[in-house]
Amino acid sequence: MWGFFIFLSCAVIATGSAFVALGAVGIAALFVKQRREEGPWGSSFKWSLIAGLYLLVIRLVAGILIGVPRPGTTLFTVPRIDLPSWLPGIRIGGAVTLERLSSSLQEGLIIASVIALFGAANSVTSPRKLLRTLPTSLYQVGVALTIATTVLPQLVSSISRIRSAQFLRNGQRVRISSIALPLLEESLNRAIHLAQSMESRGYGRSRVRTRYRPIPFRKVDSLYLSSGVAIALLAVFA
Amino acid sequence: MIKFSNVTLLYPQSTTTVIENLSFEIAEGEMVLVMGHTGSGKSSLLRLINGLVPHHTGGILAGEISVDGISTRTVRPGALSGIVGIVGQNPINAFVADTVEEEIAFGMESLSFPPEVMRKRVEEALDQVGLAQLRNRNIATLSGGEQQRVAIASALVMHPKVLVLDEPTSALDPIAAEEILSLLQRLVHDLSVTVIIAEHRLERVIGYVDRILLIEGDGESSLGIPEEVLRQSNLVPPLIKLSRALRLDEFGTNTREVRRSTEDLRKSLPDYSRAVTTHGDVIAQVSKVALSYGAKEALKGISLYLRSGEVTALMGRNGAGKSSLIKVITGLVAPTYGSVLIKEVSVAEIDPQERSMKIGYIPQEPGDILYLQSVNEECQRTDKNRKLEPGSTLKFVHRLLPTISKESHPRDLSEGERLTLVLAIVLVANPEIVILDEPTRGLDYEAKEKLTKLLRDAARAGTAILIATHDVELVAELADRTIFIADGEKVADGQTLDVLLASPAFAPQVAKVMSPRRWLTVGDVLAAQSQSDIS
Repeated sequence: MWGFFIFLSCAVIATGSAFVALGAVGIAALFVKQRREEGPWGSSFKWSLIAGLYLLVIRLVAGILIGVPRPGTTLFTVPRIDLPSWLPGIRIGGAVTLERLSSSLQEGLIIASVIALFGAANSVTSPRKLLRTLPTSLYQVGVALTIATTVLPQLVSSISRIRSAQFLRNGQRVRISSIALPLLEESLNRAIHLAQSMESRGYGRSRVRTRYRPIPFRKVDSLYLSSGVAIALLAVFA
Repeated sequence: MIKFSNVTLLYPQSTTTVIENLSFEIAEGEMVLVMGHTGSGKSSLLRLINGLVPHHTGGILAGEISVDGISTRTVRPGALSGIVGIVGQNPINAFVADTVEEEIAFGMESLSFPPEVMRKRVEEALDQVGLAQLRNRNIATLSGGEQQRVAIASALVMHPKVLVLDEPTSALDPIAAEEILSLLQRLVHDLSVTVIIAEHRLERVIGYVDRILLIEGDGESSLGIPEEVLRQSNLVPPLIKLSRALRLDEFGTNTREVRRSTEDLRKSLPDYSRAVTTHGDVIAQVSKVALSYGAKEALKGISLYLRSGEVTALMGRNGAGKSSLIKVITGLVAPTYGSVLIKEVSVAEIDPQERSMKIGYIPQEPGDILYLQSVNEECQRTDKNRKLEPGSTLKFVHRLLPTISKESHPRDLSEGERLTLVLAIVLVANPEIVILDEPTRGLDYEAKEKLTKLLRDAARAGTAILIATHDVELVAELADRTIFIADGEKVADGQTLDVLLASPAFAPQVAKVMSPRRWLTVGDVLAAQSQSDIS
């Protein structure tokens, strides 16, 4: 599935057409509706759509205000700010042409749709599941990443815990240096505990690892992948 | 099953041996409690069993340890993963995967079990610990007791012959602790797993274990049935203390036995109820406080007050809202609704620096607020912050901890010493309120007794004290009033005696023995007895 979405976004970038981009997001939306996963990553399509929309608006506003002058039908004029002469070719404000508006709209749409496609891919298959499909030779990287994703939130919560405790002791702003020592102690302790737990559960005992509930590569998957490749090729060469 | 012969362990750079000339033998299907003072080497002993010490931690080991006939000297801990399962104090620190099933399967994946076998064994393990409904949950979202069960399941799935647990219930409320312990007992009975468990709160485990291994700090040790070991130990649960104080001939280790031998006493002793302590004015008034994080309501309109000179205990399950309530009272978080008044002034309006003098807070990890290089520096910093005469904090620390060297590093202190140091730093400013968050975790009975005395003195001097804790025995000894919260709401608020006796799960051991008489502690019973002697 991930492969399909990657190729789809390649196609969107390659054609650079707003219609293709919108079409791709439409397909992605259909997929997400059909096969969304339960869990924290399930709603990432929604969030990526929102983020994409924000970007689109920002791109539009920037396109109106800043940009290289482009000839064409003038829609309206924004008051122009004169910039020093050593910034040639860039201007702020001035006439807004239809061409400029449409090109920035198009660019914005493409960026937004690539983000939305990424979100859709996350919605359909969580990144953790993706890690698990990695070949065994990459397994250690996968374990490291999984640990990192669980330890990071814990680290953030310990920082805020230590910060508030020290704030309550002195009532003054807490300096980073005074958080560092307790935090370091705790993190080291945690790392040692984790290492002990992994060691005592036989981690690294044998070179080959088996998978609990392995994710098999199904025929449907190759169908997705090849259709993705086809779309991308079509977009690049047509 | 486990055999230690003349085992001595010392860490390089350390002058004292952790374990000295220890020999014992534990048979299959036994449940053994390891007890001793804080820092007596219990954790090292547990880790010796699967070879984490010294393979993983370093250290010099003399003597011979064999587990199921295999010498731990010759193999790495991983090779024993199918024989010894180990569960730590804070399982969340030891989790590798993110979902329950994956975590349970981790050890088998490492040993290349075929997927079908794994599937079957994960299912068994889930059933054994009763987690089948939570199989796909993210571990971080589970409660403390559930996380502990996941850790036990991931050890069980390897079909170990020995299960080693280091203070498995220290972070749990009494009900969750009870569940974990009865689960362990069932495993011993059903699968004849050998269980080795270390625990400070003896009152929780004493009824379950077959034998006790007592290690003294000086290298002495003894292994025997509970009655014998406890007869000579100076660390004893309230039950034994009661038997000793009443000079009973038999030492019972469960409520039923002691009840039987105190039957006459229960009937003959006169009525006695502990004096209600005199307390002062209301210092803190919390009214209808609600707090929500996003959609989650942590507090749902709680009202309570704290009075000067009174020790109030705050009890409730993990996640009931204790920490949120503390945050609101200390002014760290503004409540969504309601108000917190400290002496008629809203806590939000007090300047943070002044507030830190009025409200002393002792976090669960006392080390969190120690960040300087020596005890002396910490004291000087406190003098400066509190605008006290230089040296007064150090003097105060020396009064509480006469043996402490002012040059020692705060991180080198024992758990109890560190807590006392933090308590001194907080108390020296004469705060109106002192709030403690779960202070007795990892403390042995002696350290706890010291803490109780310290807090009693502080309360007598007029401080209002609030303790959030799971420790029923501490509450019985120390608290005048107990507040019980559940799911963000106040469920009970009243005299400790009334609140604790109202719920069987939270009744202290002495109360269970003495019921229906209304006594909570050994002290209460003795007071009743002395009354009868007079009359």
